[in-house]
Amino acid sequence: MEAKKRNKPLKIAGSLWKKYSFVLVFILILVVYAITISSNGNTFNWGHISGILSSQNTVIVGTMALGMGFVIITGQIDLSVGSALVLCSGVTVVVFNITNNIFLTILAALGSGLILGSINGVLVAYAKMPPFIVTLGTMLIYRSLALSQVRAISPDITGSSSSQFALLSDNSSYNFLRMVFGTGSLKIGAFSIPYVTFLFVAMVIIFVYISKNTKYGKSVYATGSNEKATHLVGIKVQRVKFSVFALTGLLVGVASLIQVCKIGNITPASSAQAYEMYAIAAVVLGGINMMGGRGNVVGILFGALSYTTINFIIVSIPSLSADIQNTFQGLVLLLVILVQTAGPAIKEKFTGRRKVVTQL
Amino acid sequence: MSILELKNISKSFTGTQVLFGVDFFVEEGEIHALLGENGAGKSTLMNILAGVLPMDNGSITFDGQEYYNPSIQQMEKAGLAFVHQELNVVNDLTVSENIFLNREIVGKTRKLNKKEMLAQSRKLFDDLGVDIDPTILVSELKTSQKQLLEICRALYADAKLLILDEPTTALSNDEIERLFGILKALKKTGKSFIFISHKMPEIFDLADRYTVLRNGKLISTGDIKDTTTFDITCDMVGEQFVDKETYAEHELGEIALELQNYSGQGFSDVNLRVKKGEVVAFTGLAGSGASELMQSMFGALRVESGSMFFKGKDVRGNITKFMKSHIAMLPTNRKENSVIPDMTVLENSYIAEHSLSRKYPVINKKREIVKYDDLKGKLNIKAQSPDDLITSLSGGNQQKVFLARWLNTEAEILLFDNPTQGVDVGAKEEIYELIMRFAEAGKTVIINTLEIPEIKKVSDRCVVFYAGRVVKIFDHEEINERDVMLYSTNAIDAAAGSESMEDN
Repeated sequence: MEAKKRNKPLKIAGSLWKKYSFVLVFILILVVYAITISSNGNTFNWGHISGILSSQNTVIVGTMALGMGFVIITGQIDLSVGSALVLCSGVTVVVFNITNNIFLTILAALGSGLILGSINGVLVAYAKMPPFIVTLGTMLIYRSLALSQVRAISPDITGSSSSQFALLSDNSSYNFLRMVFGTGSLKIGAFSIPYVTFLFVAMVIIFVYISKNTKYGKSVYATGSNEKATHLVGIKVQRVKFSVFALTGLLVGVASLIQVCKIGNITPASSAQAYEMYAIAAVVLGGINMMGGRGNVVGILFGALSYTTINFIIVSIPSLSADIQNTFQGLVLLLVILVQTAGPAIKEKFTGRRKVVTQL
Repeated sequence: MSILELKNISKSFTGTQVLFGVDFFVEEGEIHALLGENGAGKSTLMNILAGVLPMDNGSITFDGQEYYNPSIQQMEKAGLAFVHQELNVVNDLTVSENIFLNREIVGKTRKLNKKEMLAQSRKLFDDLGVDIDPTILVSELKTSQKQLLEICRALYADAKLLILDEPTTALSNDEIERLFGILKALKKTGKSFIFISHKMPEIFDLADRYTVLRNGKLISTGDIKDTTTFDITCDMVGEQFVDKETYAEHELGEIALELQNYSGQGFSDVNLRVKKGEVVAFTGLAGSGASELMQSMFGALRVESGSMFFKGKDVRGNITKFMKSHIAMLPTNRKENSVIPDMTVLENSYIAEHSLSRKYPVINKKREIVKYDDLKGKLNIKAQSPDDLITSLSGGNQQKVFLARWLNTEAEILLFDNPTQGVDVGAKEEIYELIMRFAEAGKTVIINTLEIPEIKKVSDRCVVFYAGRVVKIFDHEEINERDVMLYSTNAIDAAAGSESMEDN
C-alpha cells in the first residue's frame, strides 16, 4: 500500500506518457526538423509549419488514415485505400470534366469512395473473408481498373493525352476548385493556413467526436476489444465491421477531392504508391494498437504530421538522397513501436511482477 | 506399491487457501476416481501434480522419485500424462504425425522416416485395439477418436500414469463403452489412471478406488466396492450447513415466461413456466444442456423447435429482439463473454443499454455517470473512478458492473449463467442478496449454476438437467444438495424422476 502511494506521481506521468506519447513524438521530430533547417543556414518559420500542414502526406494520407484508424480499432486492416484513392480521383475528374458542376463532382468523389469501401465491407463482414486478403484483392483491382480506363477513355474526358486524369482548365468551375480551394489558403495576420488543411482538420474533429462521444464510436472500440462480449450485449458486430470499411471509403472520397483540387490530376500508374502503408504508419505513430480496441483517434493527426515532418527532414538534408527516405521512415516507425511495445515489458522486468500463467 | 504419493499438499491463490494438506495415493495398475464439486480443488491438485502450478507445501513422490515443484517437462518425462478436457491435438497434422510430434523418427539426413512412423502407429493401435487410420488428418476424427489418440500418444511416450479430466463429456454411450474397454485392458498391463468425472454410473463401472475432496480438504478415500453412490454424494456435498440465510419467501405474480417443447443445441423438449418475481435455478453437469438452453433463451444460440412466450408474445430471432423484449443474459465465463477489457467501468456498464437506444446516437456522459452512480450504490460496486479500466477491478466487482450493465437495460427477465464463477466468497453473498432483491422488485430471475449450495440460497425452484432433458424439478423446501446431486449425476434412474416433471 505504502509503495503504491509513493509511486502515484510517477504513475500519473506514466499514464500521461502512455496516453499522449504521439504528441511528444511529433514535437521531438519537429525539433529535429527545426535544427536541420537552422543548420542549413535558414530560419525556421511559419512557412515550414504551413508546409507540413498542407503537404499531401498530411491532408490526403491523413484523411484516409482516419478511416484506417477506425478499421484498425476494430482489429482489421484495409490495404486498398491507396488504389481506391486513384480510382475515386479518376471518377471525380471524369465527372467534373463532363459536368463542370462542383456539387456533382463532390457527389462523385464521396459516392465512388463509399461504394469502393462498401465492397470491402460486404466481403469482410458478410462473406466473412479475412480483411487482409479482401483488401489485398481490391487493392489490385481498384488500381488496375483506373489504369485500364485512363487510356480507354477519350482525352477530352480524362483531361489529358498522357495516361493521367486531369481537371480540364477550360471548365468554368476550374478556377474555384483548383485555385481558390485546392491551393489557396486563409490568411490570418502573418499566418496562412491552406483551405485543404481546414478540411482535413474538420474531418479529424468529426471523427474524434464520433469515436469519443457516440454510441457508434464505442461499439467500434468494443468490437476490437472483445468481439464475443460485444455480440452478447446486442451490438451487431458484423454491421460495425462493415461500417468502418464504408466510412473509410467515404474518407477516401474526401481525400480524392483534396487530391484533384490540390494536385489537379492523378496518374494511375504512379500516383499514391504505398499510401495504404503510409496511412497505417500514421495510425500506428498515432498510438493506436494494431490488435484493436485501443487508441486515441486524435493521435492520427499527430501521426500524419510526424510522418510528413520526417519526410521533410530527410529532404532538407542535402547530402541524403531521396532514395534513402523510406529507410529513415521505416527506422523511425520501428523505433516508436519498439518503445511502445517493449516499454511495458521492460517495466515489468524491473518491477519484478510476473503474470500467472494459468488461472484455474 | 503406490506409483503416486501426494502428501500434505497445500496451496493458496492470492490469500485464499484452496488446498489444505491433501494426501492422495494411486496404486500401480488401478483406476482411481477423483471426485468433488466445482471448486473442491481437484483441478488445482492435478495441476500441481502435472507441474503446471507450484505448491506452497507438501511432497510429490512419483514412480519412486521425489519431486518438489517439478516442471511440466520433468513430469512428462517421468511418465505422467495429463489428458485435458479440451484436447491438445494438432488438427492439421495426420494421426501418425501427432503421435510422433516432437519425437519424430528421422533417417541419417534428418529426413523424416514416415514409413517407420506409420508402421509403429499401426502397431500401437493394433495393440490397444483402437480402430483409427493413422494416415488421415486429425481434423477428420470424431471427438472420441481424438480422445483415444491423445491417450495413445501418452502411452507411446511410455506414460505410467494418465490423468483423464472428464473424458466422457463429449462422448456418446457407445463411445464411452469402447473407451472404458480399452482403459480396463490397459489397467491389466499395469498402467494407472486418475479418472475425474461427475457421472456416478461411470465411476462405479470403471474405478477401483476413489478419493473425495471438498473445499480443498480430503474427505474420504477407499475402495469403490465398499461404498455406494449415496455415500459418495454425501461426502461430496458435506453436511447441510447454511452459513447465512439469504432466501426469503416472496410473492410470486402471474406466469411471466413459458417454454413450450423448447429444443436446441444440446437440449430438447423443455417445458417450463416461470412466474413473475420467481427465482428459478437450472443445474446440471457440464454437457447437461442447461447453459445452452439459457443462451437460446437470449437468442445467442439457435432454437431448433418450440417456442418461448414472454407476456404472451413468442420471442425469437437475434439477441437484439430478445433484449427489446426486456430479456437480459449475464453470460458464463466472464473474461471471455462479458469483459470488454480496453474499456472503462462506465463504458462497460452502459454498452448494452446503448445498443438498445441507438436512435439517440450521442452519449451524454453526465447522465450516464448519474445512472452509474445510482447503480454503483445499489450494487455496492467498489471502484474508484468510473473512468478506470474494467480490468482494474476484482472479479466480484467486475461481475457487479455486468449486473449493472443489464439492470441498465431495464430488463424484466434476468438470465444469469454461472453468476458467481471466479468471484470471492464475500461478493458471492452480495450477489445472492442482490438476486433476492431483484426478485422482490418483481424481476424474474433464472440462474444456471453448477454450485449446488447456492441453489438453496436463492431459488424458489430448481430444475435439474441431465443429457439435455429436464429430469427433476424441486420446490424450494425439497431442495437439498444430496438429492440435487443424485439427479444431476444420474445416480437415480432418470425414469424414476420423470413423473414429477408435471408439477410446474
